[in-house]
Amino acid sequence: MNIDPIHQFEVQRYADLLRVSGVSFSFTNASAFMIGIVGAIFLFLTFATRGRTLVPGRMQSVAEMSYEFIAKMVRDSAGNEGMVFFPLVFSLFMFVFVANVIGLVPYTFTITAHIIVTAALALLVIGTVVIYGFWRHGTHFLHLFVPSGVPSFLLPFVVLIEVVSFLSRPISLSLRLFANMLAGHIALKVFAFFVVGLSSAGIAGMFGATLPFFMIVALTALELLVAVLQAYVFAVLTSIYLNDAVHPGH
Amino acid sequence: MTKTWKLTVAAALMGLALAAAPAVASDSAKPSSGPAGAAVAQQDHGASTGAHVAEVVGEAAHGGEHKGGFPPFNPATFGSQLAWLAVSFGVLYLLMSRVTLPRIGRILEERHDRIARDLAEASQRRAESEAAQIAYEKALTEARGKANAIAGEARNRLNAETETNRKSLEAALTVKLEEAEARISSTKTDALSHVRGIAVDTAQTIVNTLVGTTPGQQDTESAVDQVLSRKAA
Amino acid sequence: MAFRLGSEFVAGVLVGALIGWGIDTVFDVAPWGMLVFTLVGFGAGVMNMLRAAGETGKKSGPKA
Repeated sequence: MNIDPIHQFEVQRYADLLRVSGVSFSFTNASAFMIGIVGAIFLFLTFATRGRTLVPGRMQSVAEMSYEFIAKMVRDSAGNEGMVFFPLVFSLFMFVFVANVIGLVPYTFTITAHIIVTAALALLVIGTVVIYGFWRHGTHFLHLFVPSGVPSFLLPFVVLIEVVSFLSRPISLSLRLFANMLAGHIALKVFAFFVVGLSSAGIAGMFGATLPFFMIVALTALELLVAVLQAYVFAVLTSIYLNDAVHPGH
Repeated sequence: MTKTWKLTVAAALMGLALAAAPAVASDSAKPSSGPAGAAVAQQDHGASTGAHVAEVVGEAAHGGEHKGGFPPFNPATFGSQLAWLAVSFGVLYLLMSRVTLPRIGRILEERHDRIARDLAEASQRRAESEAAQIAYEKALTEARGKANAIAGEARNRLNAETETNRKSLEAALTVKLEEAEARISSTKTDALSHVRGIAVDTAQTIVNTLVGTTPGQQDTESAVDQVLSRKAA
Repeated sequence: MAFRLGSEFVAGVLVGALIGWGIDTVFDVAPWGMLVFTLVGFGAGVMNMLRAAGETGKKSGPKA
């Protein structure tokens, strides 16, 4: 038993593929989980809809519900024009959701507990907003930073705040997901150490270990909720931010 | 209780992220990160944390496999993670947008169409059944009217027949009544005409009994006629 | 959702501080960039928070 609560986040190299100026692109456990997640999503959705039955079975219902859930979310936040981003939001939601939930299984690796992964996903969202916003609306997109009805002497200050607020979006988007996942997993691990440590200390320790054990059970349930909730929040915020790309100038 | 605990951990990690971010940024900006990392460490308030991170970063910059430190902030793994994330998420996006989502969308659309079609069919059927109901009711009304007409006709005919029967019966009765009356009056006349003869005979007999002689037929008759005419008058 | 509001705020301050630090390093105006932009970041954080609260609040209502 490894008694390091951080060990679970360790990236382990499986195969060295490429090294460019000291940066390794090797195949690691993180890569394996990313590919596994993509494979799991695709295979499940394909398998679930294999029958294409008119009256859906259980799995097909799940697939259809996820589709309609995200479609409604995007349409509610970004309107019908926002539906061009539906595949993006759907992919993001499924990726984060499956990554979070798979990460709760013991001995697995949680890719969303790595800031670089969540930051990359958040930057993808904001990059999409910026690029699509400029491509679609040109400089009109900049009206996003100029709220209407502000006295002119306050305007520079407000624009500055708006810009910082906009820049803070990828940070909050990525930090929230990352911190939730990381903190939850560390908490689980710490309580697990209590159980192992106490139960190895004799009979009294065994009794003492029951409390943290039930804490683990409760925490696991809580973490499952957090995993789902964070995937949902990520997708909702993505659609809200994408709304700015579709309809700047609020 | 666990929530606040977790929040504390999260806050601590955010602080760590704050400390690490400039270090990483400077690391990527200047490949020889030793001095930059040290500068960050000096500037950071939590000197020990900053120094620790700087140490990790410095170690990673030398390309060494790191042990210890905090893996999520180890820039040595960033390249690999980013590359694989780009590949896997790209594949996921392509699969979703090209294969899976159109597939589910088609299923939903088919169901939608089917439901719409079924609904249309159902409403058509309902319209048909409503029309049939109306037709039935119309037929029913017509039949009822016809039946009424027939009944009325029959009643009228019967009434008429009864009337004719009654009239003919009445006529027959009237005829019979008249006949009877005629007969009565003839009998009466007859009787009255006999009264004269009887009166003449009686008068002759009475006179004969009283007087002993029989008056002449002629005289008796005229006397009786005289009395009768007086009586009639 | 309380955590969401908190992270919105922290992110705002963080970005402000980061920009300030960047300006300090590039233009060598030591404490001022950090000072000013942390304040701006504070404002942005409050704005983020208000906006997030508004989004949560009006989720049930119709949207443009």
